[in-house]
Amino acid sequence: MSCIDRLLRRRRVYDDLEDEIRAHLDERADELIARGMSSADAHAAARRAFGNVTSVQERAREMWEWPTVESFLIDARYAVRRVFGAPAVSIIIIVTLALGIAATATVFSWTRAVLLDAIPGARHANRVVALETTTASGGWTPTSWLDYVDFRRYTKSFDGIAAAYPTTLALGDESSTERRWGELVSANFFDVLQVRPALGSFFPSSAEDAEGARPTTVIGYALWQSRWHGDSSVIGSVVHINRYPFTVIGVAPPEFHGSMPGEEFQLWVPASMLSQIVPTGGWWLRDRGTRTFRVLARLAPNVALGTARADVEALATRMAAANGEKSRGMSARLMPLWQSHWGLQQELRTPLTILLGASALVLLIACANTASLLLARSLGRGRELAVRLALGAPRLRLVRQLLTETSLLAVAGSALGLIGAALLARSLRWLIPAFASPTLLAPRVDAGVLAFAVLLTFAVTIIAGLAPALHGARAGLVDSLRDGGRAGSGGRVAVRLRSVLVGAEMALAVMSVMGAAMFYESLRNTRALSPGFKSDGVAMATVSVTLSGYDSAHAQAFLSNVVDRVGREPAVSAVSYSDYVPLSVDDGSWEDLRVEGYAPQPNENMKLARAAIGPGYFGVLGIPLIDGRDFTAGDDSAHTAVMIVNEAFTRRFLASRAATGVRVHGWGRWFTIVGVARDSKIHRLTEPATPYFYVPVRQVYRPEDGYTFLARTSAESNQAARSIVRAVKALDPTVPAFDAMPLTDYIDGPMQLQRTNVQLLGILAAIALLLATIGLYGVIAYSVTQRTKEIGVRIALGAQRSDVLRVVARQAVVLLAAGLLIGLAGGGALSRILSSVLYGVGPGDVNVFAFATAGIIAITVLATGLPARRAMRVEPTTALRAD
Amino acid sequence: MTTRDLFPGALEMMVLRLLKQQPMHGYALVQRIQQLSNELLQVEEGSLYPALQRLLRDGLVDAKWGVSSTNRRIRIYRLTPAGAKHLTQEVSSFERMLQGINLVLAVGKT
Repeated sequence: MSCIDRLLRRRRVYDDLEDEIRAHLDERADELIARGMSSADAHAAARRAFGNVTSVQERAREMWEWPTVESFLIDARYAVRRVFGAPAVSIIIIVTLALGIAATATVFSWTRAVLLDAIPGARHANRVVALETTTASGGWTPTSWLDYVDFRRYTKSFDGIAAAYPTTLALGDESSTERRWGELVSANFFDVLQVRPALGSFFPSSAEDAEGARPTTVIGYALWQSRWHGDSSVIGSVVHINRYPFTVIGVAPPEFHGSMPGEEFQLWVPASMLSQIVPTGGWWLRDRGTRTFRVLARLAPNVALGTARADVEALATRMAAANGEKSRGMSARLMPLWQSHWGLQQELRTPLTILLGASALVLLIACANTASLLLARSLGRGRELAVRLALGAPRLRLVRQLLTETSLLAVAGSALGLIGAALLARSLRWLIPAFASPTLLAPRVDAGVLAFAVLLTFAVTIIAGLAPALHGARAGLVDSLRDGGRAGSGGRVAVRLRSVLVGAEMALAVMSVMGAAMFYESLRNTRALSPGFKSDGVAMATVSVTLSGYDSAHAQAFLSNVVDRVGREPAVSAVSYSDYVPLSVDDGSWEDLRVEGYAPQPNENMKLARAAIGPGYFGVLGIPLIDGRDFTAGDDSAHTAVMIVNEAFTRRFLASRAATGVRVHGWGRWFTIVGVARDSKIHRLTEPATPYFYVPVRQVYRPEDGYTFLARTSAESNQAARSIVRAVKALDPTVPAFDAMPLTDYIDGPMQLQRTNVQLLGILAAIALLLATIGLYGVIAYSVTQRTKEIGVRIALGAQRSDVLRVVARQAVVLLAAGLLIGLAGGGALSRILSSVLYGVGPGDVNVFAFATAGIIAITVLATGLPARRAMRVEPTTALRAD
Repeated sequence: MTTRDLFPGALEMMVLRLLKQQPMHGYALVQRIQQLSNELLQVEEGSLYPALQRLLRDGLVDAKWGVSSTNRRIRIYRLTPAGAKHLTQEVSSFERMLQGINLVLAVGKT
């Protein structure tokens, strides 16, 4: 009999069964009557012999239910009635679950967009891994083109290895230039990522071309839509990139945005065209020491990451030995994309993990709350359940029914939560510094997130529903009927269970408050740090001279002209420029140094971060020179190469020697130290003093990073920033200028991530507290209701109102103490785990403990106040008469 | 001994065995089981029906409404070929099990 057949015929089957059982009972009764029993006795005896008719029928019917869909539907119908029967409780449960699920699903969608779905548009992207070069000191560095070529040639574990160099490009001719992020890529880039063109074709990937031989470009879908309005005649047309003509050969698919998570690239050019894009770029393809590329590899089928890693590391060791000086001590690592150092995920990984943890905590609290409320409800229906059990309902069936009810609530909560998540997903932009780089900011709420939410719903149903369901299904009939539905022995267990749940909720809430407080303290400590330079009253704007194909001399003249022009503004007191702005999101450039008279340890990292600056830089930023002189316009390529170092540099390399006059080797020649600047923060406010050095732009021309003008002004900084842009436009309209803003805004950018993180954690902690309040209120209010009579008796016997308050408060205080102790212990453990990402917040931070304690005490007072008031107002006469 | 002490499937096996002898209705089955087991097995009458429904579902028996010799409307169960085959298997596996248990229980006896 097929299943469908069975479904259709079931009505018949059930009718037959009923008839048959009736016939059976009649036959037995008739027989007993024949033996001389009275009709009534006979029928009763027949039923006794038969057993529980309803139960038998139900068990017999179960044989036909297929695969329990029907009984589920019955359960669901019943659950819907129950859910609507107590709308207030249901709404509270659904909303709290929705909050927890919305938070968790939103953070999950962010995490997935940033960490797990690194390269949308690439097929089988999970087989793509990152290959990164490591320095002798274990740090990370980009990979040089020659190393990349060797990896590609001598490893066996990969289907293909691609390289990409991210940079800004100027697209268009002199009349209309726009700045776009693009990647200079190995010819096999699209093949390795397995991306299919939306239009045209990609670079032929058989072999790398000779330098300069293939002036072609692939454009992004969004760029194609915005600049060419989706016109397919774009294929074959010529566009200018950094003033060099390229033929458009293909359009990338809409979802593809380059090789880095969270960053949006819209132009791709073969790496063999580097000389045409960056004036100094051709060198990069020929020098093993110039490390600029990101390397991505696609694992060959059936090759495990571990195997491939061993392959790469073995080769890297051979390469380090073979390439001598340039690669001494270096190695390479293979890692999943989400661990890679390129892209925004590097910055976002930790905050996202923390947020995921915090929202999971909130969801857990919501579960405990739900369990507690359902328990309260199951107390109210203890009698009903007991009667049903007595009438022969199987326990398992009752458990299933109660679970169905929870799952119904969980599904409703999840649906609501998912809607919330869909609305919130796009707010990922809150977390990202606005100007960090054009970023893809639309995480999708799709099948993946949906599946995650379904999983959450299951988890919630089990976590929140199992205890109430099991408890409900073991309700004892005698108990329940005897004490008229009030808390009997089963009820006491439930009340205790609720107390445990609420205690747990409070502990979790304490932990989440402590977590938020720790990050708040950390942020406060960070912001209290002095950067060592004065950013107030400084305006900035960045230009990219490579985009306009300037050579060194041309660029020097241009930079000086802008400085002169901006310096003539009445409010501006000093102007300079630099190729690195301190406290930027990125880390700037470094150079391998040798310091005269300093013998480095073997494997000592002599790669030092640096800035190429213009004269007057220290004056604009208010960094004191404590020895020697500033750079002047005379420090150019015709004169001795000079360098200014910071104090940390002198401490590390020069010990007690006088700094000025010492020679330092870099960029293939010797520089003479002419000045020492006071230490200031370079990359992060929280870093210790780090050796750092400055060289004149006129002697070290590295235009790839662009140049940032800095102007100290007594007027409003935004206005000065605009005047820099005006000066640039007046001198050469084709030079793109960007990031024009007050310097304070710019260096505050990286802090935005931390700040938003603190805000989001604060919101989650507030939700956690709110949920704990609801839970606590529920328990206290319930117990006051249950004890109305007792309280009435006490008052009648002369108890004071304050005694009543003490009785109610005692319960709250016990819960508070338990929750607080466990929560503080948990929070302490949490702070040890988090200590590496916190600044100046140790385990046992007094403020953090105080804050969490105050929070939880406040909600205890809040949640206990109302029920306590009610208890104190109990009128003995009314209370005793009730029931 | 009560029905609860029957192992799962025992009742089904007995029902199939009785139906192999001749088709009969539920009430008669109960009577026969008690009678043949020298009243050692007290089948709670009701528990027979879920077992019968399971056998029906699995196609091991089929059922038709008919009229008894005493002019009573009854539902007569009949063994199907699949049921006959199932019975043979069950009986032989049961006998093996019984044999095994007996061997173990006989330990130490002379």
